[in-house]
Amino acid sequence: MARVGVFVCFCGANIADFIDVPAVVEEAKKVKEVKVSVLYKYMCSDPGQQMIRDAIIQNRLTSVVVAACSPRMHEKTFRKALSDAGMNPYLLEVANIREHSSWVHQKDKKAATEKANDLIRMAIAKSIANEQLHEISVPVTKRALVIGGGIAGIQAALDIADARIPVTLVEKSPSIGGRMAQLDETFPTLDCSQCILTPKMVDVASHPYIELIPYAEVIELDGYVGNYKAKIKKKASYVNFDTCTGCGACTQKCPVKVPNEFNMNIDKRKAIYTPFPQAVPNKPVIDAEHCTMLLKGKCGICAKVCEKGSIDYKMVDEVIEREIGAVVVATGYDLWDPKPYEEYGVGRYKDIITSLEFERMVSASGPTNGVPLRPSDGKVPKNVVFIKCIGSRDEAKGIEYCSKICCMYTAKHAILLHHKVHDSHAYIFYMDIRAAGKGYEEFVKRAQVETAATYLRGRVSKIYKKGDKLMVRGEDAQIGQVVEVEADLVVLATAVIAPHENPALARLLGISYDKYGYLSEAHPKLRPVETAKAGIFLAGCTQAPKDIPDTVAQASACAAKVCGLFAGDTLKKDPMISTISNEFCSGCLNCVKVCPYQAIVTEEIPLGHGSKELRTVAKINEGVCQGCGSCVAICRSMAISLAGFTDPQIINEIVAI
Amino acid sequence: MNKLTYFPGCSAHGTSEEFDHTLKLVMKTLDVQMEEIPDWNCCGATSAHVMTENLALALPMRNLVLAEKLENKTMGIACASCYSRMKVTKKHLDEHPDLAHKINTTIIDEGEYKGDIDVKSMLQYCFEEIGPEVIKSKVTKPLTGLKVACYYGCLLTRPKDVTHFDSPEYPMSMDILMEALGAKAMEFDFKTECCGASFSISNTDVVESLSGKILEVAKESGAHMIVVACPLCQSNLDMRQPDIERHTGQKFALPVMYFTQLMALAFGFPEKELKLPKHIVPVQEALSHIGEIEPTPEKVKKTKKAVEAESEVE
Repeated sequence: MARVGVFVCFCGANIADFIDVPAVVEEAKKVKEVKVSVLYKYMCSDPGQQMIRDAIIQNRLTSVVVAACSPRMHEKTFRKALSDAGMNPYLLEVANIREHSSWVHQKDKKAATEKANDLIRMAIAKSIANEQLHEISVPVTKRALVIGGGIAGIQAALDIADARIPVTLVEKSPSIGGRMAQLDETFPTLDCSQCILTPKMVDVASHPYIELIPYAEVIELDGYVGNYKAKIKKKASYVNFDTCTGCGACTQKCPVKVPNEFNMNIDKRKAIYTPFPQAVPNKPVIDAEHCTMLLKGKCGICAKVCEKGSIDYKMVDEVIEREIGAVVVATGYDLWDPKPYEEYGVGRYKDIITSLEFERMVSASGPTNGVPLRPSDGKVPKNVVFIKCIGSRDEAKGIEYCSKICCMYTAKHAILLHHKVHDSHAYIFYMDIRAAGKGYEEFVKRAQVETAATYLRGRVSKIYKKGDKLMVRGEDAQIGQVVEVEADLVVLATAVIAPHENPALARLLGISYDKYGYLSEAHPKLRPVETAKAGIFLAGCTQAPKDIPDTVAQASACAAKVCGLFAGDTLKKDPMISTISNEFCSGCLNCVKVCPYQAIVTEEIPLGHGSKELRTVAKINEGVCQGCGSCVAICRSMAISLAGFTDPQIINEIVAI
Repeated sequence: MNKLTYFPGCSAHGTSEEFDHTLKLVMKTLDVQMEEIPDWNCCGATSAHVMTENLALALPMRNLVLAEKLENKTMGIACASCYSRMKVTKKHLDEHPDLAHKINTTIIDEGEYKGDIDVKSMLQYCFEEIGPEVIKSKVTKPLTGLKVACYYGCLLTRPKDVTHFDSPEYPMSMDILMEALGAKAMEFDFKTECCGASFSISNTDVVESLSGKILEVAKESGAHMIVVACPLCQSNLDMRQPDIERHTGQKFALPVMYFTQLMALAFGFPEKELKLPKHIVPVQEALSHIGEIEPTPEKVKKTKKAVEAESEVE
């Protein structure tokens, strides 16, 4: 005979004001299996939990019902109370009479009370059919995979490796460094970006716990938390990195010139190249799309000048495998193409450039040696107009969201322009100035006061050419008039967008992404670095636009999550997962199709006892199953059962109402 | 022989007679038979849609119903304002199937609205249904040497969701047609800027300042003339030009011609067919540039750097 205890919580006034709690307690006593039914002001508090523990022992309870808030809130708390009293924690049922009754029926106490009675009766009935369940232990491979070698990936890899956990860092381009390597100085302190980044890049290359795989992409990920298997494609670099000394003779002699993507195509690089002088690893790769030797079999100069014989034109892509326990995704961001701004003459006027192009020009190591130049005639510009929110906050042409970093980097550009061209003047058209951050507002003030940049609140409606100048016509909303500025150069602060590869990568990893292509976190506030898939974490702009401090903080948070995951030798997992009965499984495999976690695989078993013929049945991967129950609903032969939500439990609930 | 249902609008029978006349000439050359809608009425622009929505829809709808009865695939409209009203009304009617019945009662009933006719401006018709290649093939007297600035005005390509034609900010269709005639279409930033037409009667100062800017930028582009596809654009830029010159002290002398006038000229029609005396700003000077050969830029001696640049593999 089952012996059930019912514990009803007031939740202060949250429940007690709208539900007649004493009446509910009395109603529960009418169920014959209920041996104790009591109330308390805060059941989750220590005295409340003590009350449960005492009652379990005194009344030799076989299951417990707590009528309180949502199980998402305190199920763990009460399960622990059961364990402490020597009872299996899965014999607990929570009747959610707060979110499901008192909060939503505040105007009708009688009905709310009746609904609470129903919810409690259901929980009692279900608890009677509850079974003892035990946490599942899964082994864990203590190696992390970091995808993307920008500042986010670098920081995450270093922090994880410093905890003596091996890391494999995969970067798609020939060098790590990412966007931050392209920046000149950084707001709000004007630190030289290269100076603070390159030591970290070198640390990555020399760290005993980091395996750096540049010029490579993750092409497959199988398995589940703690036990992933990744396939990584190493693109053919045609250079043997083991023997190459990075002397640079090959890049010097290579006759083929290609637009330099690191410098936003402002100058040219060679077909065999290192992306930038501080590249890590500092080894060149051959761009197979442009190398005449690889395309037409003519040239071969790089092989001739290489003293080490490191050039290998016959090299092919190679796929390697790594067993890993957790993944940090840090694929960064792209920039929006401002082509739709036809009224500005984008694409027609060379002297309209994007902010990153400006950034490369003012960079001391950039294509113009740190001096901004007009692309049309190579002259130094005096009047420069910066236009913010190009594509950002623009539902008509671009995207709805704010790119977050443009207000700050535009202020920085105004200051840098003044540093590089003393007699220049910056005009900044803006919608709002969003400078929330430590030292940010002060930095914008510096641009406005010290640099004397002219901030004009309003949108630019038109840019047209007059002689060799660009006439920028916009609104100055603060004086309510149309203004025209004669500009030598126009710089567009284009929106931050998700990398176009993100959706494909998300599908490959089995995680979700939003309508813009940003990878989705598990909870926007409380789980900002986890994804919905256990063991996969997000760092940096791949999740949403953010600046360097936020990116670094999130990367370190990822590292803490990975270290936490790897703290024990095994991972504990909730036992409320599906099981399949082979006897009943007809092998239709509809469950495989509906499983959102790819947790169901197939298995060949003998047709009958001792039979040599085989038949296919579905099999649950315990490590991957999240207990959502989709397979249970689709299974037409009722072969699948979800622990904690078995048919007898559900039927009991239904019968109770 | 292609057939086209033609809606001239009030200006084609009045102020823009030279548009109507040359349009009919070139359509004949292009083997298009134009059928003018019998008993067409005012499109309602620009008064109706600021007064009553019902009338603003009812007037164009009657024209659409009459146009559909001619059973041609396309209805071509000369005036940009008429085009806009017709296109907006058609969009409303097509998106709200019960709307036709609601507004039918307010005017003389001409029958059911079916919604099976394409509504296009004459520029759009020439560009999309005839095409620059065919137009080029009819050219007997190419306009080589003539530099033009194509002005589209506000309505021919806007709003984008209504017209679904060319770019709302920097359209190129008229430019491409002009190039097909042998003329040189200049880079012109004010293709779709407002000329102030709505204030044409009530506040001419506004018109002069806005149209003045268009003339200024057109002149800056190096064009000999402005080419238009809209009667209101033509009258504002042409008729107001002497006033604008007087007030701003600038001398533009930029004739404003319809694209069909230039087509007629290139197709070999005599100049008298263009009805040039109807223009306020004299046209002859600009037309005298036809046949001029552009001096080819002197060959720059190749520097070592240029040679290197050319040998680069892109």
